[in-house]
Amino acid sequence: MPEVFLEANHISKSFVGVQALQDVSLKIEKGEVACLVGENGSGKSTFIKIICGVYAPDQGEIIINGKTYRHLRPIDSIREGIQVIFQDFSLFPNLTVAENIALNDQVARGRQLVNWGTIKKIAREALDQIEIDLPLDATVGEMSVANKQLIAISRAMQQNARLVVMDEPTTALTRKEVEVLYRIVRGLRERGIAILFVSHKLNEVQVLAERVVILRNGSKVVDSPAKELTQEKIVLSMTGHTIADSRYEYSTPKTGQPLLRLEKLSRKGSFRDISFDLYPGEIIGVTGLLGSGRTELALALFGSHPADQGTIKVDGQAVKINSIQDAIKHGIGYVPEDRLTEGLFLERSIGDNIVVRSLKTLLNRSGMVDAVKKHTEIQTWVNNLHIKTSDPLMAVKSLSGGNQQRVVIAKWLASLPRILILNGPTVGVDVGSKAEIHGIVKGLAQQGLGIIVISDDIPELMQVCNRILLMQRGALVESFETKNIAEAALADRLVETIGGD
Amino acid sequence: MVHRRSIFLVVFALTILALSFGVSFAQEATPDAPSSPGAILDVSGDWTIATVVKLTGIAWFDRMETGVNWVSEDYPNVTAFQQGPAQADAALQVQVIEDLLAQGVDALCVIPFQPETVEPVLQRAREEGVVVITHEASNQENIDYDIEAFDNSAYGVHLMEALAERMNYEGEYTVFVGSLTSATHNQWVDAAIAYQQENYPDMTFVGDKNESFDDPQQAYERMQELLIAYPNLRGVQGSASTDVVGVGQAVEEAGLQDQIVVVGTSLPSISRDLINTDAIDLISFWDPALAGYACNMLAIQQLEGTLPVTDGELPEEGFGFSNLTGYEELSLVDKVFYGAAWVDVTSENVDEWDF
Amino acid sequence: MATLRRLLARQEVIIALTIIILSIFIGLVNPSFFSIPNVFRILRSGIIVGMFAMGVLIVLISGGIDVSFPAIAVSAMYITVVFIRDTGIDSLVLSFVVAGLIGLALGLFNAFFIALFKLPTLIVTLGTLSLFRGLLLFFVGSQRIRIAEVSPVLSDLSRGNLITIDNPAGGVANLHIAFVFLVVLAVIVWLLLRYTMLGRAIYAMGGDLEAAERVGFNVRRTQFFIYGFVGLVAGITGIVYCSLSREADPFSIVGIELDVIAAVVLGGASIMGGRGTVVGTLLGVLLITLISSSLVLLGISSDWQRFVVGILIIIGTSIPVLQLRQRQRTQSAAQAV
Repeated sequence: MPEVFLEANHISKSFVGVQALQDVSLKIEKGEVACLVGENGSGKSTFIKIICGVYAPDQGEIIINGKTYRHLRPIDSIREGIQVIFQDFSLFPNLTVAENIALNDQVARGRQLVNWGTIKKIAREALDQIEIDLPLDATVGEMSVANKQLIAISRAMQQNARLVVMDEPTTALTRKEVEVLYRIVRGLRERGIAILFVSHKLNEVQVLAERVVILRNGSKVVDSPAKELTQEKIVLSMTGHTIADSRYEYSTPKTGQPLLRLEKLSRKGSFRDISFDLYPGEIIGVTGLLGSGRTELALALFGSHPADQGTIKVDGQAVKINSIQDAIKHGIGYVPEDRLTEGLFLERSIGDNIVVRSLKTLLNRSGMVDAVKKHTEIQTWVNNLHIKTSDPLMAVKSLSGGNQQRVVIAKWLASLPRILILNGPTVGVDVGSKAEIHGIVKGLAQQGLGIIVISDDIPELMQVCNRILLMQRGALVESFETKNIAEAALADRLVETIGGD
Repeated sequence: MVHRRSIFLVVFALTILALSFGVSFAQEATPDAPSSPGAILDVSGDWTIATVVKLTGIAWFDRMETGVNWVSEDYPNVTAFQQGPAQADAALQVQVIEDLLAQGVDALCVIPFQPETVEPVLQRAREEGVVVITHEASNQENIDYDIEAFDNSAYGVHLMEALAERMNYEGEYTVFVGSLTSATHNQWVDAAIAYQQENYPDMTFVGDKNESFDDPQQAYERMQELLIAYPNLRGVQGSASTDVVGVGQAVEEAGLQDQIVVVGTSLPSISRDLINTDAIDLISFWDPALAGYACNMLAIQQLEGTLPVTDGELPEEGFGFSNLTGYEELSLVDKVFYGAAWVDVTSENVDEWDF
Repeated sequence: MATLRRLLARQEVIIALTIIILSIFIGLVNPSFFSIPNVFRILRSGIIVGMFAMGVLIVLISGGIDVSFPAIAVSAMYITVVFIRDTGIDSLVLSFVVAGLIGLALGLFNAFFIALFKLPTLIVTLGTLSLFRGLLLFFVGSQRIRIAEVSPVLSDLSRGNLITIDNPAGGVANLHIAFVFLVVLAVIVWLLLRYTMLGRAIYAMGGDLEAAERVGFNVRRTQFFIYGFVGLVAGITGIVYCSLSREADPFSIVGIELDVIAAVVLGGASIMGGRGTVVGTLLGVLLITLISSSLVLLGISSDWQRFVVGILIIIGTSIPVLQLRQRQRTQSAAQAV
């Protein structure tokens, strides 16, 4: 009989009338890896915040190591060894790796003075625990997301962690980095530390989890060993319905002018000799490893990192795209990968974000923004893209990832582009929203837009695109028609390419 | 919670006020008042004359009030008094003048804070038959006359003579102005430099006009730099009242009191300590008491109709106030009277002045 | 090569190089630049900006900004001098204590609004800049007071020198004793920032305020410390200022804030918070002082001086920005390979 570390019994919690959690019970055993799965809004975040003491449940109790807490405070939770690694990591970008790792410990011990030797020693030991080597004196702000996550994990380690909660830890990681994370998670488990892995990526769940707990609308719907679950079963439990796995049918014959034609487009150090055509109604996927030049190509088409050789033709006319203004003038829109820093003004309202690109079309005769027109425009996009908000005047940051992504898309659609480039359109978006965004993209193509989707999510590309281009080290190495290839074949081909690197 | 915060807020505000009040004390300056000049005019009417200054409560205008009070002493049927805003504010000064017009005065002596701002109210005053005399406003339009303590060029020459004499008419010197855009300062130093070039060939003007921005610290730092750049510097002429203060400090700290001559416009109250250590050799200014007295004398004569001006010209034999030092011999250009009423102060007589 | 590049990426090194190059240039134009009297002169003229900069550095690191410190300094200075004049209590220690306490109180007044009401620091301190100065001029007075006439003790301080040497060009050259205040303050701030948890809390707050709270720092208490400390430093600097300038003028000091903030930012502190060092700040102060106090030596005519100061500041401040952009470009290139 395995020992239970944490037991949450009949937890309920509501916020101003909204039932976030309803009678959820959950046990986590010592040294087990449990996955908590659910769509955005299913109550995952609320549950995490309750077991780390940030929220007090309305009903229910929490038993940690046999000790019953009615009112768990954050400090109790930390003392019992519960460490949460939030999505934003809570790291200090301006401080060194060593200090970021050791700071919690030093504050918790009530230190008044700083001993830099001790700090380095603590940091070194923490990194050793997860068998990782990072430069201790480097500034965290200059490190990759993956390394930041490793720092956050090692920080959690040196406080006698018994249970580490990871909130969607793989969102911003590349495949290789995810492998490292998996290895660390397994290492922790061997040392008897329990992991609660919060995710909505189904493949991760199946690789890592010993047990899967699925929440839907605040209730627990599944709690069973991972091997008893299939992918379809998980999706069904998460969304409450099956999601049609239909590919994009591109039927329009390729006649007349292509919307966009690239001829031997190159940018020194980024990509070279890229040529392809994009016809109205087409959705072309561009994939490749990080650093293969896929993002750089998109940025070249959008004018922010212009190409230095080759030709871009829009409607058969050669055009120069040397700035973002040029791109917009030629009807090219770009939805960036990192919507938080590149695509949205997080503090401003949903509505303002939607119309920010198209304000010029909303002016009245005196050159002021027409409030009524603006309101209509905002409502149209909120409805068309099913952005789930009670009030478009709320700040964008109040939305979930999937809905934020819709706002970015809406922002670009409002400026009526003819060519839309989507970079990682569903990164950090849950299964249900993902399907809806795919639907939106397909609908746009059917209206005659030309769309380029950049992604390393092979199933996504297979579903959305009619053609997939594979890039490697800055060159276009292969092109597939999706109807002619199986998902596995493309994945294999990709793995081969990786192997070649 | 909010309640407790607002209590905190009130306590803090009160603390600040208490701090401020606790250290706010009455102005203590009482200018030494030698006796009045004495009556020299025959006055037939009963006149009320108001002198409106830029600002009350500062030493300069306190001293001017002394002069205004002498007028009442010397001429019993003249009621002369001084008023002005409590804050340096052009609009407030206009307000004071309007109130005086409403009370009904016969003449106004105005030291405008901002000449163009008071033009309309002075125009109204004259339309109502009130005599208007200004001081320190030689370009004022709506006036009977303006009176200046001296002509700017003559004053600049006077300072240069004082500087040259103490430099034995030889060596390098430079000048300070409040700013390059300050008209009077530049008139003073331009006249001084021109006079030197004509009369004292062994003296050399070095560098450029130095700007102090009316800040003694800027003058100090600039003077320190000049001492490095021009090790043979032997004289400085200042313009803003704070120029010689900063320059003198630099000279004193460098131990060069005996080698470098510092002269300029200033006030004893801010330069006394440096005059006493010989860091400043001579300062010059005009006595606001006499200036205020002279303004009122002009006003009285204009009211009595006894001013000897015909077609904007003074009579051959000249005109002045024989009992008023520096104003014995006045000249008239357009509507502006000029005296030669500068007062020189050195360590010998610095303690006679309290402003 | 890599070491050199890393070294060049440090703001302190860039500023130090700029200072050296500028000095060589001025020295070539006017050799008397490289003389001890001139060094003393430049060091002295950096004292006030340097002391203020130590306070501002802490605020900028914490992610805030304070523009009210000149008003705090002038209030503390003037009230203290009026206090000495009217009570006749003339004690060096007491005047520093009184000025320091007034500064502390006014700084805590800022902190009160910033920490408890969570108001933007720029708004609060812009407001109190006017408030403190307005109250001072209205309630306490607006007249210059010569220190020599009210306080022999402060007057002695103003004539106090650390080092006095004979100037070969005539007279003497002094390094003012107040330079010690700057050195002591710089050492205190350096120790505070580097070797106390309080200092690390200030850096952490500037890095990520929410994360600092999660780690367990008492953010409010730290803010009270920060703005109180700036006030204390400003109060003491006020007294040093009046003894350096030998007078207490209620219209003085205010206006210095832009120079101070420029010096601190030039020294590598980020206006966004989280970054900044004592050494960098001192170098920034030195550069600004050097620029504004060498124009006569360079023989630049008065008409052009303000223009030249402007140009030099633009050049000085754009170097770090260009540096940063260069670094980002190398980084993205490294990722693309």
